[in-house]
Amino acid sequence: MIKPIRCALLLLIVCASCTKSNETSVTPLNETVAGNDTTAVKKVMGAFVNGTYGTVSGTVSIYLQSGKYTLALENVAISNGPDLHVYLSKEIQPVNFIDLGKLKSVAGNQVYDVANMPDFAAYKYALIHCQQYNHLFGSAELK
Amino acid sequence: MSCAGQDIRLSRSIFGLQSGSMRKYLISILLLFAAIVIHAQQTSLPAINRFADITGTVGQSQGTIAAAYVYNWRIGKKKKWEAGLGLRYTGYWGVKKDFTTAPGRLSRSNTTPFLTVFAGQKTENWDTLTVQRPFVNSVNLSANASYNFSAKWSAGFNIDLIGFTFGRNTSAILTSNGITRTESVAKPASFNVLLTGDNDYGSLNSEFFLKYKLAERWSIKAVYQFYFAEYKTSTIQQRAPDGTLVNRFRNKVNAFGTAVAYHFK
Repeated sequence: MIKPIRCALLLLIVCASCTKSNETSVTPLNETVAGNDTTAVKKVMGAFVNGTYGTVSGTVSIYLQSGKYTLALENVAISNGPDLHVYLSKEIQPVNFIDLGKLKSVAGNQVYDVANMPDFAAYKYALIHCQQYNHLFGSAELK
Repeated sequence: MSCAGQDIRLSRSIFGLQSGSMRKYLISILLLFAAIVIHAQQTSLPAINRFADITGTVGQSQGTIAAAYVYNWRIGKKKKWEAGLGLRYTGYWGVKKDFTTAPGRLSRSNTTPFLTVFAGQKTENWDTLTVQRPFVNSVNLSANASYNFSAKWSAGFNIDLIGFTFGRNTSAILTSNGITRTESVAKPASFNVLLTGDNDYGSLNSEFFLKYKLAERWSIKAVYQFYFAEYKTSTIQQRAPDGTLVNRFRNKVNAFGTAVAYHFK
């Protein structure tokens, strides 16, 4: 009578194994703000410093173009981790934040649309944050 | 009873060929035989059905495993119905699961016990707590009922009544009117009680199942599970439209699974 137990366990294992890896792509990107459109105005920028759980180097800039903000990560190199996101946050350890989405790659240049029109005097940090484990990989104060 | 019915049909075909006195004699014997068969059927099924089972379900980015001990009384002349109590452990885990506003007065248009199950959902009051790594262990007293269609097949329902929960603290993100805030230490609600529908507190499991008896002691079950998991926030709360602060959030898990049961003597 062990057979039915084995069958049930096997079925569960097969179903449970259908999960995707949560790591970020390592392929370097080379995105630019609207193809280096000269109408884009840099509003604030900052340089990344390492967080408690990871390493981040490079810079971040916020551009205003056609009434919309865009965040650009420039020449970044980020240690890989699960579920890395790009945040605009009021605090270094995020409590009140805007999630710009999952980090596209751990290297290169990449751009993210910023919804609405946040006040960068309040949202004064750009963060690379592991959302699943609430771990800060790196932060940049926007000035 | 079905055996007795076959005997009677058989006896009718024989009676057509017998005399009157012989018929009375045969009727007496067959009635006696039928009584023995019926009595034997009744006494062959013990009045108590005790079993333990292990159930596993898998859903999208989440799963449960449950272990239960059930003590059922067989009810009725034919003892086809069973009802009883059990003790069940349910472990629930997931990744980045959305929990919504839990209190029934906010989530449903009617909170009358039982009727609330059919009440409309007040989604305008719902905020979402995305629990990053939920892991909930609940131990509850359960009510169980089933019907034995035959010696091999049965179907039934069970539901948790009251118990307690322990589990992992984890970070969560509360999304309220488009604003996101991080809750660093969301905790599983520790007390569970069935009050029907969204009036419930805590983490409670319920199952519809179809059971097939493989052998005297072993059965397998196909299970549809409906599980309430509840997390509470500690540092960040939803401000509901009525001005109250809410720190209870619920995930309603619908999942299919399988189970193995062992029947005790």
